Amino acid sequence: MMTDFRPTILAFCCNWCSYAGADLAGVSRLQMPPNVHVIRVMCSASVKPEYVLKALSQGVDGVLVLGCHIGDCHYMTGNHRTAKRIPLVQRILKETGIDEKRLKLDWVSAAEGEKFQKVITDFVQDVQKLGPNPLREVRF
Amino acid sequence: MARVAFDERGADHLLLMREEHGNVAPALISKGEDVGDVRLDIPYQLITILETVYSCVPKGKIAVITRRCDEKALAELTKRGYVDEERMIKIGLACSREQIAMCRCSDPVPSKVDFGEPNKPVPTDELSERLSKMSPDARLQFWVKQFRKCNKCFACTHNCPVCFCDDCVLEERTFVPEQGIPPGLSFHMIRSYHLIDKCIECGECERSCPAEIPLLTLRKMLARDMKEIHGFVPGDPKTVSPLNTTLEGEPMEEECDEC
Repeated sequence: MMTDFRPTILAFCCNWCSYAGADLAGVSRLQMPPNVHVIRVMCSASVKPEYVLKALSQGVDGVLVLGCHIGDCHYMTGNHRTAKRIPLVQRILKETGIDEKRLKLDWVSAAEGEKFQKVITDFVQDVQKLGPNPLREVRF
Repeated sequence: MARVAFDERGADHLLLMREEHGNVAPALISKGEDVGDVRLDIPYQLITILETVYSCVPKGKIAVITRRCDEKALAELTKRGYVDEERMIKIGLACSREQIAMCRCSDPVPSKVDFGEPNKPVPTDELSERLSKMSPDARLQFWVKQFRKCNKCFACTHNCPVCFCDDCVLEERTFVPEQGIPPGLSFHMIRSYHLIDKCIECGECERSCPAEIPLLTLRKMLARDMKEIHGFVPGDPKTVSPLNTTLEGEPMEEECDEC
């Protein structure tokens, strides 16, 4: 059963670093699991926690937030906000009983195609281990 | 009451709870008016009312009867520039033992007590302790059962002293569907995030909830997390929310609501 499970994963990538990194990974023809839906945002700080919480409460199995490395943000301190925000969102998930590992924050620069591949592969494996999002079965 | 507010502290207006025709309601009275039948035993966040009436009172000092939680709510408001601290006079009211037990309050005594007797705080919230010890699945079941009772009446939002955004994110159709109740699990999770750096644990959300969802317990659990992660406790006028500072602690601009 578990091996058949293909998680649905959203990856919010910032326009300036992570999306370019994803692009590089694609152009370099690196192999990656096909479960990830990449959403391009202008900055990792424009990923409102509302988006993450809504996605997870509607049954998405995992959410990745990828931004520029600290200090490299196109908007100077955008990723500082993200770095402070995401741990709190993880705690909200934990307190309501959803595994906080379903949300992950990482930094991928435009030159790190290989890191992008690694982050995606690792995260898909982690979420596969966690199993399907329990909220998928919950009907409100 | 009138003597303390108007004569001793020099207030021009006084915000209080009073009984009229058998109902207790908040009232704003001016100097010289009759205070009427003042009720100090009704726990209600007068700061919520202050937010509404503040713009209607352009001049003069406003005295408010403040419990410790009101004081903290006022600090959150002044910090964000909604209220001018110079114009506020705080009349301290210590909570009764029953009220402290109801709120599981860990910080019940105001900085200056004018009325009431200071009582001991309640150190722990039993339900949050119990929830922390549960397995994640059991905890999820608990909260799903609770949030299913929600009928999206927005009482928790309207009665919250620190819900002061001009455009509430919970009224956006993207996050909360226009039709249908319950509003989904994300409603209360989004609200939790929005309050995480300003909730002063007054318990008004829990008291006003017609479905009796233990919202204060959720707030207390997240306040503990906030303290653990960022070492921040809301309610101090001198500190800045960690969500509005850089990783080095430099202040940043307030979040933009447009995008």
